[in-house]
Amino acid sequence: MEQDAQLVQQCLQGVGSAWEELVRRHTRRIFNICYRFTGNRTEAEDLTQDVFLRVYRTLASYRSAYGGFATWMTSVTRNLLIDHYRRTKRDRVTDSLDDAMPVVENKESVARRPDEQALLGELSGQVQSALTRLSPELREAVILRDLQQLEYIEIQRVLEVPEGTVKSRINRGRIELARILQQMGVRPA
Amino acid sequence: MTMTWTCEQTEARLSDYLDGLLDAAEWGAFNQHVNTCATCTPLVASVAHTLGGLYALEQVEPPPQLETAILRATLGAVPSKLDFWAWLRSLQSPRFVYGAVSVAATIVLLLTATGFNWRKPKLADLAPATVYHRANGYVHVAYARSTKFVSDLRVVYEIQSRMNEGDQSPAMREETIPQSSPKKEPGRTDNTNPSTPKQQNRANDISRRLEVLACEFPILSGSLVDRRVP
Repeated sequence: MEQDAQLVQQCLQGVGSAWEELVRRHTRRIFNICYRFTGNRTEAEDLTQDVFLRVYRTLASYRSAYGGFATWMTSVTRNLLIDHYRRTKRDRVTDSLDDAMPVVENKESVARRPDEQALLGELSGQVQSALTRLSPELREAVILRDLQQLEYIEIQRVLEVPEGTVKSRINRGRIELARILQQMGVRPA
Repeated sequence: MTMTWTCEQTEARLSDYLDGLLDAAEWGAFNQHVNTCATCTPLVASVAHTLGGLYALEQVEPPPQLETAILRATLGAVPSKLDFWAWLRSLQSPRFVYGAVSVAATIVLLLTATGFNWRKPKLADLAPATVYHRANGYVHVAYARSTKFVSDLRVVYEIQSRMNEGDQSPAMREETIPQSSPKKEPGRTDNTNPSTPKQQNRANDISRRLEVLACEFPILSGSLVDRRVP
């Protein structure tokens, strides 16, 4: 965290290598958040690039009072993901595509590349598929807590909601995810 | 005193239970309720299973070119080291591979055509003067062969046309003579009429040969004369 703050300072002083280091340190984490949220590698790539572009342009507005640089960056990522969700939801409505689960699942499974299918194990693939069916509020809470292992206070900063709401969303998200998996035929052994 | 616990409480505190955030009294009441409730038992089991699935999700590796793309989008020019690797990756593109293979094939063809020995390659064979002389020799040989081939073809066609001309029968020739203006000549009873000077010459030639034969075989001369002059 301390190192991130130093790198940000160096970036603001015009040291190009400091920005390169920040990109290397955070690309994987941001890409994973985007991928788990969208379930699509291409969209995740584009969104990751957008996140860094926005962070680079607004780097001067970063204050350590917001929390760590990683939390601030996650907050930027979350905002972009929500924007992306709203935009793509409008597109889906325009295309007269129903939000019904089987249709969305089929569309995604067709669009997914073979290497992605191989990448996901059976249960992991089903969990990822179920994740994309969660509402964005519950999805982001579950991803930040259970996949990114963020503390409640960090999630509270990222989502800018009270701690009780964070806990409630995580709890509802997990239960809803379990219900979706049951509908998909995934049951505990 | 045992704490009372409801299904609503189970659902509301499920994450706290799974994360180990319940105190001892809550923990006991939660367990007691879940173990006796037909609704809550499968709920807790399925959420616990889901949580296991979430924790089992592995980190996904971003594509290797993503960092370069981010740096290009933010800094504009990419640092030289990254640029070099990007350039190396660009060599793997199908367009470049096809182009390189085409160029290599062309070079091989040209060297083979100029007589380059692939089994015993020598640097001297690649000297421009050597390549020129060999290419010049090959061109001349090819030209001579093609000229000879054309000449041979011409001779063959000429012979063939003469043979066709010789095989053409007199009866066929008669058919070609127009019947509208038969020109009667003295001494001709078969209505044949040599239409061209060449045919006339041929007829004269045959007459001369008959006369020579008649001189050499006097026995036949009388009969021949008798036949010719009834």
